[in-house]
Amino acid sequence: MGYYYTLAPYIVKRPWLYKLVQPVAAWYQNLAGYRQMGLMCDDLINEEDEVVLKALKRLPEKVAYDRVYRLRRATQLSLSQKILPKEEWIKPEEDVPYLMPLIDQVYAEIQEEKALNNLEIIKKSKH
Amino acid sequence: MISRSALTRGSQLALRRAAAAKTAQRGFAVVASEKASYEPTDIAGIKVAARDDNSPVTRLAVVAKAGTRYEPLPGLTVGLEEFAFKNTYKRSAKRITRETELLGGQLQAYHTREAIVLQANFLREDLPYFTELLAEVISQTRYTTHEFHEEIEGTIHVKQERFSNASIAQDAAHTAAFHLGLGSPLYPTANTPVGPYMNEHNVAGFADAAYSKETIAVVADGASHAGLRKWIEPFFKGVSEKSSGELYTEASKYYGGEQRIAKTGQNSMVIAFPGSSLKDNKPETAVLVGLLGGESAVKWSTGFSLLAKIAANNFGTTASARNFAYSDTGLLTIQISGGNPQAVRKATKEAVDALKSLINGDIAKEDLVKAIAKAKFDLLSDSETGGVGLVHAGANLISGGSPLQVTEALKALESVTADKLKAAAKELLAGKASVAAVGDVWMLPFAEELGLNV
Repeated sequence: MGYYYTLAPYIVKRPWLYKLVQPVAAWYQNLAGYRQMGLMCDDLINEEDEVVLKALKRLPEKVAYDRVYRLRRATQLSLSQKILPKEEWIKPEEDVPYLMPLIDQVYAEIQEEKALNNLEIIKKSKH
Repeated sequence: MISRSALTRGSQLALRRAAAAKTAQRGFAVVASEKASYEPTDIAGIKVAARDDNSPVTRLAVVAKAGTRYEPLPGLTVGLEEFAFKNTYKRSAKRITRETELLGGQLQAYHTREAIVLQANFLREDLPYFTELLAEVISQTRYTTHEFHEEIEGTIHVKQERFSNASIAQDAAHTAAFHLGLGSPLYPTANTPVGPYMNEHNVAGFADAAYSKETIAVVADGASHAGLRKWIEPFFKGVSEKSSGELYTEASKYYGGEQRIAKTGQNSMVIAFPGSSLKDNKPETAVLVGLLGGESAVKWSTGFSLLAKIAANNFGTTASARNFAYSDTGLLTIQISGGNPQAVRKATKEAVDALKSLINGDIAKEDLVKAIAKAKFDLLSDSETGGVGLVHAGANLISGGSPLQVTEALKALESVTADKLKAAAKELLAGKASVAAVGDVWMLPFAEELGLNV
């Protein structure tokens, strides 16, 4: 169980299904329009969350700076009802998950702590 | 009626039971009357020092050549110490802590000027678990960025706040005496700029240099030789053979000099002279330290020692002598601390005068006997109860020496005479001194005022 519900691992494991779904996914991602606003997929993750906040703090300095720049640019575009010129759109290959691995890491830490707090101790029998 | 044979049978049984109880108890009795010294061995290319007194508790430590004298950049030793028992590639720091708690063990990481010590204290039967853990910590720690920012930096700041002026004075005296290497501070103060040097990448690089088979020693107290042989070999397989990285390995040289640091709070003076190293084991130095003394060992008495008398005459001051023994040199220090700078000034002058009068005046036979007894007690109590014996054994091994042989050292102490002490004191005062003053430097005396060469 990850931090959110997803079918992706199930699909990626089956190449025939992946081949079938991938073009649709790419089309849908493009249709969502965030790349035209100069955003990356991980910029859309809700920040108001303990886990995400902690993950954001772990971003390298440059990556965190770029993220804020993209968010401010997108806000400005939204206010002025515009999209970026085509050459500045985020290309699909630039749209990498920079935050998700950190979120998974923080989530795994929290889950581990929960598990350790509730662990049941079985006394080893004397040999 | 009770038959005669039944009565005798009962008494026979009772006797047998008592005898059986006695044999069962024998396991806990200490076989040798004298505590054995650490015996050096070599297991799978790793230097091991071990002694086994059949105690139910084992102390196992990895002593690495990574103390502050070996750090190539300031602060790395402290960083490495704080990274001990953090996330490894196999398990998280939380899991390490919980598992150790469940086994009833204790984990410690600390450092001296020469070595970093990763120590585990645990019940005898848990040897395999903790051997694996220590090997894992030195070879597979991840040195992650987020742990450095979230945990380590904070811990270091907290520790820096607890710093006393007395320890700053000891550091300053070391710096004056040895410059770099042994002179680098044991713990960087809040004012030391370590920002550009101390980060997780440099610490990881330092770990590669410090944790290798040629730069570590494993010291075990209360573990069986067979057990060590069985478990060290498989678990320490992943530790690299050669040290790959930079260590500051210049030989120590004594310079001498004066350092004065203005600071609010307590006042502390340190007067230091070249002392005896771990290797030369000069018994005169130990006895001289016993004679100068300082802290009283008994309640309701100021003590017989020279420094104790001086401290008692100057209300609110404490004075003590210590020999810091390192692998290639040593530093004998006399420290006087107190809240009132005038009292510290007066006590310091009296301490130097007392040292000078040792050369000319007579040393009472009674005082000499007491000083030798004190030196013997210090030696034995250090090597037995505290962790010091363990650290010394390890530090000796990584610097190529062998652990201290207690019986011989005791014999050497007994052979010290008053003339030998006088000669030792004379040699100290003829050479250059290292003087450090921390606190109200307007009031604290200069070395020149005290009549010392710097």
